[in-house]
Amino acid sequence: MICCRECLDLLYDYLEGTLDEKVRHSLEEHFQDCPPCISFLNTYKTTSRLCRESLTQTEIPEIVQIKLRDFVQNKIKKH
Amino acid sequence: MPTQEERALDEKLVRELKAGKEEAFDEIVKIYQRKIYALAFNLTRNPMDAQDVTQDVLLSIFKKIDTFQGKSAFSSWVYRITLNAAYMKLRTRKKDQSVSLEEMLPSFNNSGFQQEKLLDWSEATDSLLFSKETRKLIEQAVDQLPEKEKVVFLLRDVEELSTERVAEILDLSIPAVKSRLHRARLFLRKKLSQHFEEYAARGEKK
Repeated sequence: MICCRECLDLLYDYLEGTLDEKVRHSLEEHFQDCPPCISFLNTYKTTSRLCRESLTQTEIPEIVQIKLRDFVQNKIKKH
Repeated sequence: MPTQEERALDEKLVRELKAGKEEAFDEIVKIYQRKIYALAFNLTRNPMDAQDVTQDVLLSIFKKIDTFQGKSAFSSWVYRITLNAAYMKLRTRKKDQSVSLEEMLPSFNNSGFQQEKLLDWSEATDSLLFSKETRKLIEQAVDQLPEKEKVVFLLRDVEELSTERVAEILDLSIPAVKSRLHRARLFLRKKLSQHFEEYAARGEKK
């Protein structure tokens, strides 16, 4: 039987799918008996997704796009 | 993660650029400009710096393409130049705002069980998860990550590069990438949890 501390240490490899069968099985058994670790697993997963979806919204502002185009045309290519 | 097609296209463009074909450079700009800017912006959190970094990187690609030997993927090379340019900026600018990650790691009792009460906010409504407030909080939390953890997190979880590629770009071992990423995720999870718990508490008071 594994404890929460071990469970959280294994979380990364669990999500990568790289745990060996036996360890994965005992981890899943722990999840069944431990709602806090299930919450932890869910929120850990959602953290990555949420951060990705928030941070990839970065678009280059239009004015910067124009400046970059100008830079490429006049500074880089005519060098 | 570049697909085989993406990698083949990169290789073709690099060959053409080395042969002096300028159109190839335009294609490279089209493919990489936004990625360079986004990574630079997430590292510096400053539009002027991100613009400068993007210009520096584009110039480096153009001028130094002959030094690219193709030992790693072209995109790895581009990410590496971007990181170097962004770090140069950071060094001249702001002080490191990073915090210690230790106190944000989970706590356990003596038998190794979790001590804190855990709210599962992963199923919260999308409007809450993707609110402006949440987005701002994420930016601030990422800014607080120590540089080592931050860059791994941005490349792996935000840019979605594979663990192997992140290791290649940063010249780290795979276990080092994993442990930095795990620490970054734990820190960010905790920050988000505090945010959503506060939100839930506000809701209860109403």
